[in-house]
Amino acid sequence: MPQIFMPLITKESSEPPTTPQPQTKRIVIDPITRIEGHLRLEAQIENNRVADAWSSAMMFRGLEIILKGRDPRDAWIYTQRICGV
Amino acid sequence: MKSDFKEKMEKRGITRRDFLKFCSVMAVTLGLPAGGGKAIAQALETGPRPPIIWLEFQDCTGDSESLLREPTLINLLFDSLSLDYHETLMVPSGSLAEKSKQDTIKNYAGKYLCVVEGSIPAGNGGVYAMIGGRTALSIAQEACGQALATIAVGNCAWDGGIAAAAPNPTGAMGVKDALPGLSPLINLPGCPMNVYNLTATIVYFLTNNQWPLTDSLGRPKFAYGEEIHDQCERKQHFEHDRFVLAWGDQGHRNGWCLFKMGCKGPRTKHNCPTVKWNSGTNWPVGAGHGCIGCASPKFWDQLSPFYNPLPDD
Repeated sequence: MPQIFMPLITKESSEPPTTPQPQTKRIVIDPITRIEGHLRLEAQIENNRVADAWSSAMMFRGLEIILKGRDPRDAWIYTQRICGV
Repeated sequence: MKSDFKEKMEKRGITRRDFLKFCSVMAVTLGLPAGGGKAIAQALETGPRPPIIWLEFQDCTGDSESLLREPTLINLLFDSLSLDYHETLMVPSGSLAEKSKQDTIKNYAGKYLCVVEGSIPAGNGGVYAMIGGRTALSIAQEACGQALATIAVGNCAWDGGIAAAAPNPTGAMGVKDALPGLSPLINLPGCPMNVYNLTATIVYFLTNNQWPLTDSLGRPKFAYGEEIHDQCERKQHFEHDRFVLAWGDQGHRNGWCLFKMGCKGPRTKHNCPTVKWNSGTNWPVGAGHGCIGCASPKFWDQLSPFYNPLPDD
């Protein structure tokens, strides 16, 4: 079984739980930093295992739509601006 | 405080000579009279240094990359100016990253600088750029609203940039249109912006406690006051009809004017020919490719196709 690394970052709560910890909880990390772009990661934890996980891109511009109908010689100039890294 | 600053710089490998050289470069970029470099050095070493919140919305991170090409400013930022929030560079993520931002907004209300990179989308309730569960507009309203000043870097944060190019699928717009009336707002267009202009703008403020004079489009005059055409080293070739007619032809090898290859220098105001890029290495025309006019308003639509020459006038 591959080791699953779970970062210890959850939505913060300043008070100790008064009810027993739920077996199912959701971890959200948004924004993921030290990357280009905007990424949101979510994981559903059941019985201390990751039962499900989602990765969402949080930004859209539509460069393909913008490129349509333009002079093909310009294509590289537009496309290059997809990423500045 | 002065020796403390000097130590911090040296720990990062910046000697006092490097630092003073940086200050003179800033003074020259700003067009300051003699003694300007010294005034800048004095202000940077001893003056109050505001924290910076750097927001990224519909961006490509190109302006941050431009920032990273100038190591002295980066070192100044990390040690002296305190870059408190920058999604691409900061260590914490998720709610801890948000906490860094909120702490700065709360503890330094009215005293921090807000830099914005990337456009703000209005389409469909702003869903096309969301961070930490909030829309870009909501984040900008909060962070820019309580800042000492906002600096919009790159075309996207100025007029919507490439995301706003026809047909603008996401309703993208720049800071000045998303937050009308926001002041002070300094715009540093360019695709990307030139880090020297950002550095000089911040340094000018730290030295004089006011922002450099801007033109009607909100761009500092020291950087956007003159047409590229008038500063171009190939202008004499233009005047004497020595044009490149095909890539790699003899004219191209001789460094002749690129007007007929689509250069938009005559329609663009920016200081690329003098400040250049990558620590003064070169600029597009110097490297043999025409200017695409990336500091001009709505250039993606107004100045394209980029290889069609401007009309003769």
